[in-house]
Amino acid sequence: MEPETVPHTLVDARGSACPGPITDLSMAYRRSKVGDVIELWATDPGVKPDVRAWATKTGNLVRSVEHQPDKIVVVLEILRR
Amino acid sequence: MPTRVLVIGGGSGGTMLANALDHRRHEVTVVSASSDHLFQPALLYLAFTGAAARPVRPERALLGRHVHLVEDRVTRVDLGSRQVSTAAGRDLGYDYLVLATGIQSDPSQIPGLAELNARFGDYHSTVAQARLLWRHLDAFGGGTIVLGQSTPVCKCPPSPVEGILLADELLRRRGRRGASRLVFLTPYPRPYPAEAVNEVVEPILAARGIEVMPFFDVDRIDTEASVVHSIEGDEVRYDLPILIPPFVGADIAFEPPDVLDPDRFLRTDRHTLRVQGFDNVFAIGDGTDLPTSKSGVGAHLEAKVVARALKGRPASFDGRTNCPLDLGHGRGTFVIGSYDRPVARSRPTRLKHLMKIVFGKVYWLSLRGWLEPVFDLYFKLTAPRPS
Ligand SMILES: Cc1cc2nc3c(=O)[nH]c(=O)nc-3n(C[C@H](O)[C@H](O)[C@H](O)COP(=O)(O)OP(=O)(O)OC[C@H]3O[C@@H](n4cnc5c(N)ncnc54)[C@H](O)[C@@H]3O)c2cc1C
Repeated sequence: MEPETVPHTLVDARGSACPGPITDLSMAYRRSKVGDVIELWATDPGVKPDVRAWATKTGNLVRSVEHQPDKIVVVLEILRR
Repeated sequence: MPTRVLVIGGGSGGTMLANALDHRRHEVTVVSASSDHLFQPALLYLAFTGAAARPVRPERALLGRHVHLVEDRVTRVDLGSRQVSTAAGRDLGYDYLVLATGIQSDPSQIPGLAELNARFGDYHSTVAQARLLWRHLDAFGGGTIVLGQSTPVCKCPPSPVEGILLADELLRRRGRRGASRLVFLTPYPRPYPAEAVNEVVEPILAARGIEVMPFFDVDRIDTEASVVHSIEGDEVRYDLPILIPPFVGADIAFEPPDVLDPDRFLRTDRHTLRVQGFDNVFAIGDGTDLPTSKSGVGAHLEAKVVARALKGRPASFDGRTNCPLDLGHGRGTFVIGSYDRPVARSRPTRLKHLMKIVFGKVYWLSLRGWLEPVFDLYFKLTAPRPS
Protein backbone atom coordinates (compact mmCIF):
# COMPACT_ATOMS: atom_id res chain seq x y z
CA MET A 1 0.00 0.00 0.00
CA GLU A 2 1.20 3.55 -0.71
CA PRO A 3 2.46 5.50 2.31
CA GLU A 4 -0.26 7.57 3.96
CA THR A 5 0.18 11.30 4.17
CA VAL A 6 -3.30 12.05 5.53
CA PRO A 7 -4.35 11.43 9.16
CA HIS A 8 -4.78 7.69 9.50
CA THR A 9 -6.83 6.30 12.36
CA LEU A 10 -6.48 2.63 13.20
CA VAL A 11 -9.58 1.09 14.74
CA ASP A 12 -8.96 -2.39 16.11
CA ALA A 13 -12.31 -4.17 16.50
CA ARG A 14 -10.95 -7.71 16.38
CA GLY A 15 -12.80 -10.10 18.63
CA SER A 16 -15.76 -7.79 19.00
CA ALA A 17 -18.73 -10.11 19.44
CA CYS A 18 -21.39 -7.78 20.77
CA PRO A 19 -22.20 -5.01 19.92
CA GLY A 20 -19.65 -5.51 17.10
CA PRO A 21 -17.17 -3.68 14.88
CA ILE A 22 -19.70 -1.19 13.54
CA THR A 23 -19.75 0.38 17.03
CA ASP A 24 -16.05 1.12 16.85
CA LEU A 25 -16.38 2.49 13.33
CA SER A 26 -19.25 4.81 14.32
CA MET A 27 -17.26 6.08 17.31
CA ALA A 28 -14.29 6.85 15.04
CA TYR A 29 -16.67 8.57 12.59
CA ARG A 30 -17.96 10.87 15.35
CA ARG A 31 -14.42 12.06 15.99
CA SER A 32 -13.35 12.29 12.33
CA LYS A 33 -13.03 15.20 9.89
CA VAL A 34 -13.43 15.28 6.11
CA GLY A 35 -10.31 13.82 4.50
CA ASP A 36 -9.47 11.42 7.36
CA VAL A 37 -8.66 7.82 6.57
CA ILE A 38 -9.93 5.13 8.93
CA GLU A 39 -8.49 1.63 8.90
CA LEU A 40 -10.77 -0.87 10.60
CA TRP A 41 -9.61 -4.32 11.73
CA ALA A 42 -12.26 -6.90 12.45
CA THR A 43 -12.73 -10.64 12.75
CA ASP A 44 -16.54 -10.64 12.45
CA PRO A 45 -17.37 -11.41 8.77
CA GLY A 46 -20.54 -9.31 9.13
CA VAL A 47 -18.28 -6.27 8.96
CA LYS A 48 -18.23 -6.29 5.14
CA PRO A 49 -21.93 -5.73 4.36
CA ASP A 50 -22.22 -3.43 7.39
CA VAL A 51 -19.39 -1.17 6.32
CA ARG A 52 -20.73 -0.98 2.76
CA ALA A 53 -24.22 -0.09 3.96
CA TRP A 54 -22.73 2.43 6.37
CA ALA A 55 -20.65 4.08 3.62
CA THR A 56 -23.64 4.30 1.27
CA LYS A 57 -25.81 5.87 3.95
CA THR A 58 -23.20 8.32 5.22
CA GLY A 59 -21.75 9.20 1.80
CA ASN A 60 -18.26 7.99 2.65
CA LEU A 61 -15.86 5.84 0.63
CA VAL A 62 -14.76 2.24 1.17
CA ARG A 63 -11.27 2.27 -0.36
CA SER A 64 -10.49 -1.39 0.15
CA VAL A 65 -11.53 -4.58 1.91
CA GLU A 66 -8.77 -7.11 2.38
CA HIS A 67 -8.97 -10.62 3.87
CA GLN A 68 -5.84 -11.46 5.83
CA PRO A 69 -5.35 -14.80 7.60
CA ASP A 70 -6.12 -13.36 11.03
CA LYS A 71 -8.38 -10.41 10.20
CA ILE A 72 -10.40 -8.40 7.73
CA VAL A 73 -8.91 -4.97 7.01
CA VAL A 74 -11.23 -2.23 5.73
CA VAL A 75 -9.88 1.16 4.70
CA LEU A 76 -12.37 4.04 4.56
CA GLU A 77 -12.08 7.65 3.56
CA ILE A 78 -14.27 10.26 5.21
CA LEU A 79 -15.82 12.43 2.49
CA ARG A 80 -18.78 13.77 4.47
CA ARG A 81 -19.33 14.81 8.05
CA MET B 1 2.80 -10.00 54.95
CA PRO B 2 -0.45 -9.77 53.02
CA THR B 3 -0.21 -7.71 49.83
CA ARG B 4 -2.28 -4.55 49.64
CA VAL B 5 -5.00 -4.61 46.98
CA LEU B 6 -6.72 -1.31 46.32
CA VAL B 7 -9.98 -1.45 44.35
CA ILE B 8 -11.30 1.84 42.98
CA GLY B 9 -15.08 1.69 42.47
CA GLY B 10 -17.68 -0.12 44.57
CA GLY B 11 -20.06 -1.08 41.77
CA SER B 12 -20.80 -4.56 40.40
CA GLY B 13 -17.23 -5.44 39.41
CA GLY B 14 -15.36 -3.85 42.33
CA THR B 15 -17.65 -5.32 44.98
CA MET B 16 -17.51 -8.84 43.55
CA LEU B 17 -13.74 -8.73 43.23
CA ALA B 18 -13.15 -7.41 46.77
CA ASN B 19 -15.37 -10.15 48.21
CA ALA B 20 -13.64 -12.85 46.15
CA LEU B 21 -10.17 -12.16 47.59
CA ASP B 22 -8.72 -14.13 50.46
CA HIS B 23 -8.13 -11.87 53.48
CA ARG B 24 -5.24 -14.04 54.65
CA ARG B 25 -3.31 -13.23 51.49
CA HIS B 26 -4.59 -9.75 50.72
CA GLU B 27 -5.42 -6.63 52.62
CA VAL B 28 -8.33 -5.36 50.56
CA THR B 29 -9.55 -1.76 50.42
CA VAL B 30 -12.39 -0.47 48.27
CA VAL B 31 -12.52 3.26 47.67
CA SER B 32 -15.82 4.35 46.19
CA ALA B 33 -17.34 7.71 45.37
CA SER B 34 -20.76 6.64 46.60
CA SER B 35 -21.77 5.06 49.90
CA ASP B 36 -24.80 3.63 48.04
CA HIS B 37 -24.78 0.78 45.56
CA LEU B 38 -27.30 1.04 42.74
CA PHE B 39 -28.56 -2.08 40.95
CA GLN B 40 -28.65 -0.35 37.56
CA PRO B 41 -30.72 -2.91 35.58
CA ALA B 42 -33.68 -1.99 37.78
CA LEU B 43 -33.73 1.50 36.24
CA LEU B 44 -35.39 -0.05 33.18
CA TYR B 45 -38.36 -1.19 35.25
CA LEU B 46 -38.54 2.01 37.30
CA ALA B 47 -38.79 4.00 34.07
CA PHE B 48 -41.08 1.77 31.97
CA THR B 49 -43.32 -0.04 34.46
CA GLY B 50 -43.31 2.38 37.39
CA ALA B 51 -41.76 -0.28 39.65
CA ALA B 52 -41.67 1.15 43.18
CA ALA B 53 -38.86 -0.68 45.00
CA ARG B 54 -35.71 1.41 45.47
CA PRO B 55 -32.84 -0.66 44.00
CA VAL B 56 -30.18 0.75 46.29
CA ARG B 57 -28.30 -0.68 49.27
CA PRO B 58 -25.45 0.65 51.37
CA GLU B 59 -22.14 -0.54 49.94
CA ARG B 60 -20.81 -1.35 53.41
CA ALA B 61 -23.48 -4.02 53.88
CA LEU B 62 -22.50 -5.69 50.61
CA LEU B 63 -18.81 -6.10 51.42
CA GLY B 64 -17.31 -8.85 53.52
CA ARG B 65 -16.09 -7.86 56.98
CA HIS B 66 -12.46 -8.20 55.93
CA VAL B 67 -12.81 -5.49 53.27
CA HIS B 68 -12.03 -1.90 54.23
CA LEU B 69 -14.31 0.68 52.64
CA VAL B 70 -13.25 4.26 52.06
CA GLU B 71 -16.09 6.50 50.92
CA ASP B 72 -14.28 9.09 48.87
CA ARG B 73 -13.84 10.13 45.24
CA VAL B 74 -10.52 9.39 43.59
CA THR B 75 -9.18 12.37 41.66
CA ARG B 76 -5.69 11.29 40.65
CA VAL B 77 -3.88 8.00 40.07
CA ASP B 78 -0.12 7.90 39.54
CA LEU B 79 0.68 4.42 38.30
CA GLY B 80 4.44 5.00 38.29
CA SER B 81 4.72 5.94 41.96
CA ARG B 82 1.67 3.84 43.00
CA GLN B 83 -0.17 6.75 44.60
CA VAL B 84 -3.91 7.34 44.59
CA SER B 85 -5.26 10.75 45.69
CA THR B 86 -8.83 11.54 46.68
CA ALA B 87 -11.15 14.56 46.82
CA ALA B 88 -10.97 14.62 50.64
CA GLY B 89 -7.18 14.78 50.51
CA ARG B 90 -6.33 11.13 51.25
CA ASP B 91 -3.24 9.49 49.75
CA LEU B 92 -3.59 5.74 49.34
CA GLY B 93 -0.84 3.32 48.36
CA TYR B 94 -1.06 -0.23 46.99
CA ASP B 95 0.79 -3.29 45.75
CA TYR B 96 -1.98 -4.15 43.29
CA LEU B 97 -4.55 -1.74 41.90
CA VAL B 98 -7.88 -2.68 40.34
CA LEU B 99 -9.80 0.00 38.45
CA ALA B 100 -13.54 -0.70 38.51
CA THR B 101 -14.90 2.81 38.09
CA GLY B 102 -17.52 2.06 35.43
CA ILE B 103 -18.85 4.71 33.06
CA GLN B 104 -21.08 7.70 33.65
CA SER B 105 -23.63 9.35 31.43
CA ASP B 106 -22.47 12.61 29.87
CA PRO B 107 -25.29 14.46 28.10
CA SER B 108 -23.10 17.58 27.78
CA GLN B 109 -21.47 16.05 24.68
CA ILE B 110 -24.56 16.68 22.57
CA PRO B 111 -26.10 20.14 22.17
CA GLY B 112 -29.58 20.19 23.71
CA LEU B 113 -29.33 16.80 25.39
CA ALA B 114 -28.62 17.97 28.95
CA GLU B 115 -31.73 20.15 28.84
CA LEU B 116 -33.77 17.33 27.31
CA ASN B 117 -32.67 14.71 29.85
CA ALA B 118 -33.23 17.13 32.73
CA ARG B 119 -36.80 17.74 31.55
CA PHE B 120 -37.89 14.22 30.51
CA GLY B 121 -35.54 11.96 32.50
CA ASP B 122 -33.54 8.95 31.30
CA TYR B 123 -32.99 5.35 32.38
CA HIS B 124 -29.17 5.12 32.44
CA SER B 125 -28.12 7.41 35.25
CA THR B 126 -30.03 7.76 38.53
CA VAL B 127 -33.18 6.58 40.32
CA ALA B 128 -34.55 10.15 40.24
CA GLN B 129 -34.05 10.41 36.48
CA ALA B 130 -35.75 7.03 35.88
CA ARG B 131 -38.73 8.07 38.05
CA LEU B 132 -39.00 11.35 36.12
CA LEU B 133 -39.17 9.42 32.86
CA TRP B 134 -41.88 7.17 34.31
CA ARG B 135 -44.00 10.21 35.22
CA HIS B 136 -43.85 11.37 31.59
CA LEU B 137 -44.68 7.90 30.25
CA ASP B 138 -47.46 7.44 32.78
CA ALA B 139 -49.05 10.74 31.73
CA PHE B 140 -48.51 10.17 27.99
CA GLY B 141 -51.82 10.46 26.19
CA GLY B 142 -50.60 10.06 22.60
CA GLY B 143 -48.19 11.49 20.05
CA THR B 144 -44.66 10.47 19.04
CA ILE B 145 -42.23 8.73 21.36
CA VAL B 146 -38.69 8.75 20.02
CA LEU B 147 -36.27 6.40 21.77
CA GLY B 148 -32.64 5.55 21.08
CA GLN B 149 -29.03 5.67 22.13
CA SER B 150 -27.32 8.94 21.20
CA THR B 151 -23.92 7.42 20.45
CA PRO B 152 -22.67 3.92 19.52
CA VAL B 153 -21.39 2.96 22.97
CA CYS B 154 -24.25 2.04 25.28
CA LYS B 155 -24.20 0.68 28.80
CA CYS B 156 -26.07 -2.62 28.41
CA PRO B 157 -26.51 -2.89 24.60
CA PRO B 158 -29.94 -4.61 24.82
CA SER B 159 -31.40 -1.78 26.91
CA PRO B 160 -32.51 0.49 24.00
CA VAL B 161 -34.56 -2.31 22.39
CA GLU B 162 -35.92 -3.30 25.80
CA GLY B 163 -37.01 0.29 26.41
CA ILE B 164 -38.98 0.66 23.20
CA LEU B 165 -40.65 -2.76 23.62
CA LEU B 166 -41.67 -2.00 27.19
CA ALA B 167 -43.01 1.42 26.09
CA ASP B 168 -45.08 -0.37 23.43
CA GLU B 169 -46.37 -2.86 25.99
CA LEU B 170 -47.33 -0.06 28.38
CA LEU B 171 -49.23 1.88 25.72
CA ARG B 172 -51.08 -1.25 24.58
CA ARG B 173 -52.14 -2.07 28.13
CA ARG B 174 -53.37 1.48 28.54
CA GLY B 175 -55.23 1.42 25.21
CA ARG B 176 -53.16 4.33 23.91
CA ARG B 177 -51.07 2.58 21.31
CA GLY B 178 -53.44 3.63 18.50
CA ALA B 179 -52.89 7.29 19.34
CA SER B 180 -49.11 7.02 19.37
CA ARG B 181 -46.24 6.60 17.00
CA LEU B 182 -43.11 4.83 18.28
CA VAL B 183 -39.81 5.62 16.57
CA PHE B 184 -36.62 3.73 17.41
CA LEU B 185 -33.32 5.45 16.57
CA THR B 186 -30.10 3.50 16.25
CA PRO B 187 -26.58 4.37 15.05
CA TYR B 188 -26.31 0.82 13.68
CA PRO B 189 -27.41 -0.57 10.29
CA ARG B 190 -30.25 -2.47 12.03
CA PRO B 191 -32.10 -2.40 15.36
CA TYR B 192 -29.70 -4.77 17.13
CA PRO B 193 -26.05 -4.63 16.07
CA ALA B 194 -25.29 -8.36 16.40
CA GLU B 195 -26.96 -9.98 13.37
CA ALA B 196 -28.09 -13.17 15.12
CA VAL B 197 -29.95 -11.21 17.78
CA ASN B 198 -31.33 -8.83 15.22
CA GLU B 199 -32.98 -11.78 13.46
CA VAL B 200 -35.05 -12.21 16.62
CA VAL B 201 -35.59 -8.53 17.44
CA GLU B 202 -36.37 -6.94 14.06
CA PRO B 203 -39.52 -9.01 13.28
CA ILE B 204 -40.85 -8.27 16.78
CA LEU B 205 -40.39 -4.52 16.30
CA ALA B 206 -42.11 -4.76 12.90
CA ALA B 207 -45.00 -6.77 14.33
CA ARG B 208 -45.53 -4.15 17.03
CA GLY B 209 -45.57 -1.32 14.49
CA ILE B 210 -42.38 0.32 15.77
CA GLU B 211 -40.62 2.45 13.15
CA VAL B 212 -36.84 2.08 12.97
CA MET B 213 -34.42 4.81 11.82
CA PRO B 214 -31.03 3.12 11.31
CA PHE B 215 -27.69 4.94 10.97
CA PHE B 216 -28.94 7.65 13.29
CA ASP B 217 -26.06 9.09 15.35
CA VAL B 218 -27.50 11.95 17.37
CA ASP B 219 -25.80 15.22 16.44
CA ARG B 220 -27.95 17.86 18.18
CA ILE B 221 -31.40 18.49 19.53
CA ASP B 222 -33.48 21.52 18.68
CA THR B 223 -35.50 21.76 21.87
CA GLU B 224 -37.58 24.72 20.56
CA ALA B 225 -38.79 22.78 17.53
CA SER B 226 -38.71 19.39 19.36
CA VAL B 227 -36.54 17.80 16.68
CA VAL B 228 -33.57 15.42 16.96
CA HIS B 229 -30.95 15.72 14.18
CA SER B 230 -28.39 13.05 13.22
CA ILE B 231 -24.82 13.39 11.97
CA GLU B 232 -26.01 11.51 8.87
CA GLY B 233 -28.45 14.32 8.07
CA ASP B 234 -31.79 12.80 9.18
CA GLU B 235 -34.24 14.34 11.64
CA VAL B 236 -37.27 13.29 13.68
CA ARG B 237 -39.86 15.26 15.66
CA TYR B 238 -40.85 14.09 19.14
CA ASP B 239 -43.48 14.63 21.78
CA LEU B 240 -41.73 12.41 24.32
CA PRO B 241 -37.98 11.94 23.71
CA ILE B 242 -36.18 9.08 25.49
CA LEU B 243 -32.55 9.55 24.56
CA ILE B 244 -29.81 7.48 26.16
CA PRO B 245 -26.89 9.84 26.79
CA PRO B 246 -23.29 9.25 25.73
CA PHE B 247 -21.01 7.64 28.32
CA VAL B 248 -17.50 8.47 29.51
CA GLY B 249 -15.05 6.87 31.91
CA ALA B 250 -14.47 8.24 35.42
CA ASP B 251 -13.15 11.76 35.89
CA ILE B 252 -9.72 10.75 37.20
CA ALA B 253 -6.38 12.25 36.14
CA PHE B 254 -4.01 9.39 35.28
CA GLU B 255 -0.26 9.41 35.17
CA PRO B 256 0.70 8.39 32.52
CA PRO B 257 -2.36 9.86 30.75
CA ASP B 258 -2.14 7.53 27.76
CA VAL B 259 -3.64 4.62 29.71
CA LEU B 260 -6.95 6.25 28.70
CA ASP B 261 -8.42 6.30 25.20
CA PRO B 262 -10.22 9.42 23.86
CA ASP B 263 -13.50 8.40 25.59
CA ARG B 264 -11.64 7.96 28.88
CA PHE B 265 -11.93 4.15 28.70
CA LEU B 266 -8.92 2.33 30.13
CA ARG B 267 -6.65 0.62 27.63
CA THR B 268 -6.88 -2.95 28.94
CA ASP B 269 -5.32 -6.21 27.75
CA ARG B 270 -8.13 -8.35 26.36
CA HIS B 271 -6.99 -11.52 28.09
CA THR B 272 -4.95 -10.61 31.17
CA LEU B 273 -7.09 -7.52 31.98
CA ARG B 274 -3.91 -5.66 32.92
CA VAL B 275 -3.75 -1.99 32.12
CA GLN B 276 -1.36 -1.33 29.26
CA GLY B 277 2.21 -1.10 30.56
CA PHE B 278 1.57 -2.04 34.23
CA ASP B 279 1.79 -5.59 35.56
CA ASN B 280 0.29 -4.70 38.94
CA VAL B 281 -2.73 -2.76 37.62
CA PHE B 282 -5.96 -4.36 36.38
CA ALA B 283 -9.17 -2.93 34.96
CA ILE B 284 -12.60 -4.58 34.96
CA GLY B 285 -16.17 -3.68 34.00
CA ASP B 286 -17.64 -0.86 31.95
CA GLY B 287 -14.60 1.41 32.33
CA THR B 288 -12.35 -0.76 30.10
CA ASP B 289 -11.91 -0.48 26.33
CA LEU B 290 -12.53 -4.23 25.82
CA PRO B 291 -14.49 -5.01 22.64
CA THR B 292 -17.32 -6.62 24.60
CA SER B 293 -20.67 -5.34 25.78
CA LYS B 294 -20.70 -3.10 28.82
CA SER B 295 -22.65 -5.31 31.20
CA GLY B 296 -22.77 -6.44 34.80
CA VAL B 297 -22.23 -10.02 33.68
CA GLY B 298 -19.02 -8.91 31.94
CA ALA B 299 -17.87 -7.11 35.11
CA HIS B 300 -18.65 -10.29 37.11
CA LEU B 301 -16.65 -12.59 34.80
CA GLU B 302 -13.75 -10.15 34.65
CA ALA B 303 -13.69 -9.88 38.45
CA LYS B 304 -13.32 -13.67 38.59
CA VAL B 305 -10.35 -13.56 36.21
CA VAL B 306 -8.57 -10.86 38.22
CA ALA B 307 -9.28 -12.64 41.52
CA ARG B 308 -7.61 -15.75 40.11
CA ALA B 309 -4.64 -13.75 38.83
CA LEU B 310 -4.18 -12.14 42.26
CA LYS B 311 -4.21 -15.59 43.84
CA GLY B 312 -1.33 -16.49 41.52
CA ARG B 313 -3.38 -18.87 39.38
CA PRO B 314 -3.49 -18.93 35.57
CA ALA B 315 -6.24 -16.58 34.44
CA SER B 316 -7.41 -15.34 31.06
CA PHE B 317 -10.62 -13.58 29.98
CA ASP B 318 -12.32 -15.05 26.89
CA GLY B 319 -14.57 -12.07 26.15
CA ARG B 320 -17.74 -13.86 27.24
CA THR B 321 -20.98 -11.86 27.11
CA ASN B 322 -24.27 -13.09 28.48
CA CYS B 323 -26.87 -10.34 28.36
CA PRO B 324 -30.57 -10.96 28.93
CA LEU B 325 -32.95 -9.07 26.63
CA ASP B 326 -36.50 -8.38 27.78
CA LEU B 327 -38.80 -8.52 24.75
CA GLY B 328 -41.89 -7.34 26.63
CA HIS B 329 -45.11 -9.32 27.26
CA GLY B 330 -43.20 -11.69 29.53
CA ARG B 331 -40.74 -13.06 26.99
CA GLY B 332 -36.99 -12.77 26.75
CA THR B 333 -33.85 -13.93 24.99
CA PHE B 334 -30.10 -13.90 25.69
CA VAL B 335 -27.14 -12.41 23.84
CA ILE B 336 -24.28 -14.89 24.32
CA GLY B 337 -20.88 -14.79 22.62
CA SER B 338 -17.14 -14.38 23.23
CA TYR B 339 -14.04 -13.05 21.46
CA ASP B 340 -13.82 -16.03 19.16
CA ARG B 341 -17.41 -17.29 19.24
CA PRO B 342 -19.89 -14.99 17.52
CA VAL B 343 -23.24 -14.29 19.11
CA ALA B 344 -25.69 -17.06 18.20
CA ARG B 345 -29.45 -16.88 17.69
CA SER B 346 -31.46 -17.66 20.79
CA ARG B 347 -35.20 -18.35 20.64
CA PRO B 348 -37.32 -16.02 22.80
CA THR B 349 -39.06 -17.83 25.65
CA ARG B 350 -40.88 -17.10 28.90
CA LEU B 351 -38.16 -19.02 30.76
CA LYS B 352 -35.45 -16.63 29.53
CA HIS B 353 -37.50 -13.69 30.72
CA LEU B 354 -37.93 -15.39 34.06
CA MET B 355 -34.18 -15.94 34.26
CA LYS B 356 -33.59 -12.21 33.82
CA ILE B 357 -35.97 -11.53 36.71
CA VAL B 358 -34.25 -14.19 38.85
CA PHE B 359 -30.80 -12.69 38.13
CA GLY B 360 -32.17 -9.39 39.41
CA LYS B 361 -33.52 -11.03 42.58
CA VAL B 362 -30.24 -12.76 43.41
CA TYR B 363 -28.03 -9.79 42.53
CA TRP B 364 -27.33 -8.70 46.10
CA LEU B 365 -26.47 -12.26 47.13
CA SER B 366 -24.30 -12.79 44.07
CA LEU B 367 -22.13 -9.80 45.01
CA ARG B 368 -21.01 -11.73 48.09
CA GLY B 369 -19.81 -14.61 45.95
CA TRP B 370 -22.03 -17.15 47.71
CA LEU B 371 -23.68 -18.24 44.46
CA GLU B 372 -20.46 -18.75 42.50
CA PRO B 373 -20.87 -22.55 42.16
CA VAL B 374 -24.32 -22.00 40.62
CA PHE B 375 -23.02 -19.29 38.27
CA ASP B 376 -20.05 -21.43 37.24
CA LEU B 377 -22.41 -24.21 36.26
CA TYR B 378 -24.75 -21.81 34.47
CA PHE B 379 -21.90 -20.22 32.44
CA LYS B 380 -20.62 -23.68 31.54
CA LEU B 381 -24.01 -24.93 30.37
CA THR B 382 -24.69 -21.81 28.32
CA ALA B 383 -21.17 -21.41 26.87
CA PRO B 384 -21.20 -20.18 23.27
CA ARG B 385 -20.41 -22.85 20.65
CA PRO B 386 -17.87 -22.44 17.82
CA SER B 387 -19.46 -21.10 14.62
C1 LIG C 1 -30.97 0.31 32.24
C2 LIG C 1 -29.83 -0.63 32.47
C3 LIG C 1 -30.06 -1.99 32.35
C4 LIG C 1 -29.02 -2.89 32.54
N1 LIG C 1 -29.29 -4.23 32.45
C5 LIG C 1 -28.30 -5.13 32.62
C6 LIG C 1 -28.55 -6.53 32.57
O1 LIG C 1 -29.70 -6.97 32.38
N2 LIG C 1 -27.52 -7.38 32.74
C7 LIG C 1 -26.25 -6.93 32.96
O2 LIG C 1 -25.35 -7.74 33.09
N3 LIG C 1 -25.97 -5.62 33.04
C8 LIG C 1 -26.96 -4.70 32.88
N4 LIG C 1 -26.69 -3.35 32.98
C9 LIG C 1 -25.29 -2.90 33.07
C10 LIG C 1 -24.66 -2.98 34.44
O3 LIG C 1 -25.42 -2.28 35.38
C11 LIG C 1 -23.26 -2.39 34.37
O4 LIG C 1 -22.59 -2.91 33.25
C12 LIG C 1 -22.44 -2.71 35.61
O5 LIG C 1 -22.98 -2.03 36.71
C13 LIG C 1 -20.98 -2.34 35.43
O6 LIG C 1 -20.25 -2.59 36.59
P1 LIG C 1 -18.94 -1.76 36.94
O7 LIG C 1 -18.44 -2.33 38.20
O8 LIG C 1 -18.04 -1.70 35.77
O9 LIG C 1 -19.43 -0.25 37.14
P2 LIG C 1 -20.54 0.33 38.12
O10 LIG C 1 -21.39 -0.74 38.65
O11 LIG C 1 -21.17 1.46 37.39
O12 LIG C 1 -19.69 0.90 39.35
C14 LIG C 1 -18.77 1.94 39.24
C15 LIG C 1 -18.39 2.38 40.65
O13 LIG C 1 -17.27 3.27 40.60
C16 LIG C 1 -17.50 4.34 41.47
N5 LIG C 1 -16.68 5.47 40.99
C17 LIG C 1 -16.78 6.13 39.82
N6 LIG C 1 -15.86 7.11 39.76
C18 LIG C 1 -15.16 7.05 40.92
C19 LIG C 1 -14.08 7.81 41.46
N7 LIG C 1 -13.53 8.83 40.78
N8 LIG C 1 -13.61 7.49 42.69
C20 LIG C 1 -14.16 6.46 43.39
N9 LIG C 1 -15.18 5.71 42.93
C21 LIG C 1 -15.68 6.00 41.71
C22 LIG C 1 -18.99 4.58 41.40
O14 LIG C 1 -19.44 5.29 42.52
C23 LIG C 1 -19.51 3.15 41.37
O15 LIG C 1 -19.62 2.64 42.67
C24 LIG C 1 -27.72 -2.42 32.84
C25 LIG C 1 -27.49 -1.05 32.98
C26 LIG C 1 -28.54 -0.16 32.80
C27 LIG C 1 -28.28 1.32 32.95
